[in-house]
Amino acid sequence: MAPMVNPKAGDAPGGNRDRMMAAAQAGDADVYRALLAELAPWLRRYYLRRLPPAMTEDAVQDVLLAVHEKRHTYDPTRPFGPWLAAIARYKWIDRLRSLKSEPTEPLDENIGVPDHEEAVVTGSTFHQLLAELKAPQAEAIRLVKLEGYSVEEASSATGQSISLIKVNIHRGLMRLASIIRKAGDVH
Amino acid sequence: MCTESLIERLSRDLRPVRPRSILREAALLLLLGVVEVAAFLSMGFMRPDMPAAMEAPSFWWKLTSLGLIAVLGAGVAILSIDPVRSPRRGLRRILGCIAAIFASGWIIDAAQGGLENLLIRLNWTQGLQCVWKMVALSIPPAIALGLVIRHGAPTDRGGTALAAGLSSAAWGAFVFVFACPSDDPLYIAVWYTVGCTIVTVVGRAILLRLSRW
Repeated sequence: MAPMVNPKAGDAPGGNRDRMMAAAQAGDADVYRALLAELAPWLRRYYLRRLPPAMTEDAVQDVLLAVHEKRHTYDPTRPFGPWLAAIARYKWIDRLRSLKSEPTEPLDENIGVPDHEEAVVTGSTFHQLLAELKAPQAEAIRLVKLEGYSVEEASSATGQSISLIKVNIHRGLMRLASIIRKAGDVH
Repeated sequence: MCTESLIERLSRDLRPVRPRSILREAALLLLLGVVEVAAFLSMGFMRPDMPAAMEAPSFWWKLTSLGLIAVLGAGVAILSIDPVRSPRRGLRRILGCIAAIFASGWIIDAAQGGLENLLIRLNWTQGLQCVWKMVALSIPPAIALGLVIRHGAPTDRGGTALAAGLSSAAWGAFVFVFACPSDDPLYIAVWYTVGCTIVTVVGRAILLRLSRW
């Protein structure tokens, strides 16, 4: 069976992460701490391009926990980068799926935060992926899952019925997960 | 919890781990297979006409076919719990293998002549007994593969669960071959398909939940 991730993915300049991970498997806590500290910024950049910003840190921590729990599945004779990238990608798809079941809290209209999310999301891989969906699906996901509108508000704004908004979110997220799975890693 | 605290906690609690070994996992599954066949036969389930049955091509057809699917399915499941490997190509090979099995069964059946007395040949009361025995025999491998999957990190959980479900189904049917009183390819094609489909569908659904990480 062929590897399903880009072999370059997850590598850092000057990194000797293969050896660091092997040392971590042997129980070297200091090396392990250094390795995880190196991984966190890479994972943060990875998810900033692929998920709504509010979900980034949770996803980073999720991967660090997965690396910890599944560290015995790393084969020290193979490069560490693709192994990490495969886990990051799996958790990315998992996050997208979880969006379906997460309740969406409408935002308080008076909340005082600078409006930079649109700019961040516009340039992201996630936004590019939304373009692969049918327009009503992308619109429903964008309004409810990214911008925090309620299903009822999204229904009024788009003219879709409430049931259709829910169906479009469900089908759209399923389609996104399928696109990512088939396409391999997205850069 | 902030990410730095998490890193601190994870590294503080670090314990050495033994990297997983595909050969070790495969050997354990093989051992389970040998134990299950031995236990099944020692309980007196072996068909009484075994020497005569071994003369029939259909006996070897079902034994090798099911053994092949069980081995392929377990192999795909074990390999695909590595995060960087997908089970899809292996699953396609298994499906090709199943198609070849049906085609060769049809040839064996055609050689025996006609489809008369269809209901008699299908013998549904005996067929249902076969199905439940196959299902029961597939439970140990399904549990073993479930444990292997829980221990691993499959990134295509649906594919891995399907491969494990297929393997468990074929494994149970393989063991049952030693007791199955029928060598009629039509009977085997129908009732083994029913049994294997039940185990594959239910097994996939359960193993998919177990494989979440």
